[in-house]
Amino acid sequence: MLWYKTWLETRSRFLIGLVVLMFSAGSTVWIYPQLSQLLPALPEVELNGPIGRQVRESLELSRTYEGYVWLQWFVNNMPKTWALFAILLGAGGLLSQSTRGGAMFTLSLPVSRERLLDVRAGAVLAELLVLAIVPSLLVVLLSPAVGQSYSLGDALVYSLCMFIAGTVLFSLTFLLSTVFTDLWRPPLIVVAVATCVSFMEQAVQGLSRYSLFGVMSAESYFRDGAVPWAGLAITASSSLAMLYLARINVARHDF
Amino acid sequence: MNSTFAIETVALRKHYDGVEAVRGLDLQVPAGSIFGFLGRNGAGKTTTLKVLLGMARPTSGTAQVLGLAADSPAASVEIRRRTGFVSDEKDLFDNMPVGELIRFTSPFFPRWRRDLEEKYLRKFELPLEREVKALSRGMRTKLALLLALCRGGELLILDEPTAGLDPAMTEEVLQTLVSHVAAEGATVFFSSHQLAEVDQIADHLAIIDRGRAVVAGSLDDLRDRYRRIQLVFDGDAPDAPFSSPGVVTVKRKGRVLTVLSSAGADALVAEARRLNPVSVDVTPVPLKDIFLETVVAED
Repeated sequence: MLWYKTWLETRSRFLIGLVVLMFSAGSTVWIYPQLSQLLPALPEVELNGPIGRQVRESLELSRTYEGYVWLQWFVNNMPKTWALFAILLGAGGLLSQSTRGGAMFTLSLPVSRERLLDVRAGAVLAELLVLAIVPSLLVVLLSPAVGQSYSLGDALVYSLCMFIAGTVLFSLTFLLSTVFTDLWRPPLIVVAVATCVSFMEQAVQGLSRYSLFGVMSAESYFRDGAVPWAGLAITASSSLAMLYLARINVARHDF
Repeated sequence: MNSTFAIETVALRKHYDGVEAVRGLDLQVPAGSIFGFLGRNGAGKTTTLKVLLGMARPTSGTAQVLGLAADSPAASVEIRRRTGFVSDEKDLFDNMPVGELIRFTSPFFPRWRRDLEEKYLRKFELPLEREVKALSRGMRTKLALLLALCRGGELLILDEPTAGLDPAMTEEVLQTLVSHVAAEGATVFFSSHQLAEVDQIADHLAIIDRGRAVVAGSLDDLRDRYRRIQLVFDGDAPDAPFSSPGVVTVKRKGRVLTVLSSAGADALVAEARRLNPVSVDVTPVPLKDIFLETVVAED
């Protein structure tokens, strides 16, 4: 029943996220034919500097369908949208219920606080896994409709990398939700942190492969076929540590 | 600790952010009693209930509920399995319909009473499809009470169960509690600042003020023990100290000296006669006066 309760509390955020990501996945595939027609017509322009280099690289990657899907879907659209919903789904829980209502009833149930937290984390992680995999499967399924194909295996590798690494953002929001009693401070703090991380990755050349969003988009797998195991291990360990700290916080809290 | 008590606290203290909410509370709630826990707003009633249910940890002292240590997380789960609880805000899941909230709650309690669920659904006329947030305060209280009573627990802990209800609804809630206890034999521990309802249904009470129990015992015993002795003198009443046990307050006003005793009147009357009063009048003390005078005496 606790799983069901978590589902009731998070389903609107989850379903909105699923619709947004599915729409985004469909759009990514659908506009490829128009883009591929435009690309040969683009004049060769010399682009210098970091931004110029990025634009040139984006154009080069978009000349193949695999490169286009990776760049547009697994680097740009999906991680940022998914991260936003991971942060939103991480918000809430017992402490914010204590100010909005419902906490006393939950705490009067014969269930330990640790179990309440475990179930909430487990249910939201399951939702995030769905948000990571299902829209990517849509990319694979829709590709033949535009005369292309995309590897199911690659789609799963990218999606799982994004899920495992991106869970850090969920876990940080989850942890902060056991510190602050209001609903909005934790997600706002994590959005600010994620934005700073993203800017830093773009500003420091060569950092992107090893940074959070680099691991989320599995850049090393795209370029060299190497799954970013170290990055995944570090982010997964960080997530587990934060979830453990959240348990300790809630166990100590006086309601 | 004694198993004949459903609840027992010894020197219980709880500090919150520098505030001493409970200050050395000693409490014994006999099993099978209806125990009124009286106190002014902010006296420490809700904090005590939270400690008993494991929602807050005591700073020091001990609290046992149904023979289990309330500050042990594992024992606390067992306490909640055997206890029905209604919070002061009638805190429920606002977005769930009534029927769904009942279906949600029942699986947590192995001794859930389906028969009582049906009985109280009929009695309270609760709309199963309506969301909790759309219920009136009275309906919300009835739902909270149903969810507490049907748990099949040996103990009911109710935090201001009739707060905000009109007199008719208050009467219905109180009668439901009394008939439930008569039929099921559970212990009821309820906090309140409504003296009339404690007087009406409780057989035991404790008055808590600033985190300490200032009066405790069975209501019959308190009614027997508390006496007001009024002495009238020829001239101004003397400023005499009384050495008899149980003197709660002494008030002088012109020729009249009024003493409130918590240990009967005999010893005090004997002592008072030595002051040569014109008249000595002994009267029983209503609960309201016991409450007001003990709490004021603390001030």
